[in-house]
Amino acid sequence: MINYFKINIFNFLIIFFLGIQVFIYFFNQRPLTKDFSKMAMSVENFSSIVLSKSGITKIGSEKLKKIDDKNIYLEGKSYLENKEYKIYGEDISIKLEEEISNSNKPVKVLNSMGILNAQGFQNFDNEGIMTFKGKVEFFIDD
Amino acid sequence: MIKILFQIIFLIFFSIAHSESFVKASDSLIWDSENQNYTANGNVIFKNEKFIAYSDKMIANYIEENNKEIFTIVELFENVVIEFKDEIFKGNHAIYTRNNNLIKLTGDVSIESPTRLLTGYELIADIDNNKRILNSADKDSLVEVLLENDTNN
Repeated sequence: MINYFKINIFNFLIIFFLGIQVFIYFFNQRPLTKDFSKMAMSVENFSSIVLSKSGITKIGSEKLKKIDDKNIYLEGKSYLENKEYKIYGEDISIKLEEEISNSNKPVKVLNSMGILNAQGFQNFDNEGIMTFKGKVEFFIDD
Repeated sequence: MIKILFQIIFLIFFSIAHSESFVKASDSLIWDSENQNYTANGNVIFKNEKFIAYSDKMIANYIEENNKEIFTIVELFENVVIEFKDEIFKGNHAIYTRNNNLIKLTGDVSIESPTRLLTGYELIADIDNNKRILNSADKDSLVEVLLENDTNN
């Protein structure tokens, strides 16, 4: 009789723990992974590397906000650096698929010609065109 | 001693400030790295080691040498004013080529200096050889060679 109960309890425990594992798998892991890629998120003191037409570009900011899979927003002091230019600005929006970045805040750019200060910029990276807005001062290295 | 040191530092900074080249614009500046040019719009000021120029628009082509960008041709559009030493060149359009230091102005062209004012429709200023060629409506060609010993401008 005692053996009968022992076997039943043992079987019950096995089924119970398997059930918990199935519960964790379906109701915890899978949905969380799915939601993570879709939801908006933010990271502080962020830096990363992206591959664009200009080559490897290092990006960083005080705060990164992921708007969706195609758009990110670098909030606060931010930068984009690669072999062609170094952009130091604030509140920079980046469209990842189109490789377009822009900001309406003052920006400082360093390239192989000199140092440029402007009131904002828009960078069409895959076209190799960077537009600086407002009053622009470009000091050229002699 | 400290006073002299400060004066030397001031002179160094002053000379650096006056020798620097720059482009300034009030509206926008476009850097096209594919076609290797810069386009500046609105109250443009361009300064290099030779002259200072003002215009409404500027397109400057460049080349890359030893990982550095160097302007080769600078084109200025509308209300062009170029100040070179004590001379002022004016025109509707100007093109400067760096390799031979030539400035060619077209449109309503004038050369203004402390002693004279000459007008015409085309001016070619050869900076290295200190030579000016002004084509005016009255004469087919008027050539003026500035009589200075120092031709190394």
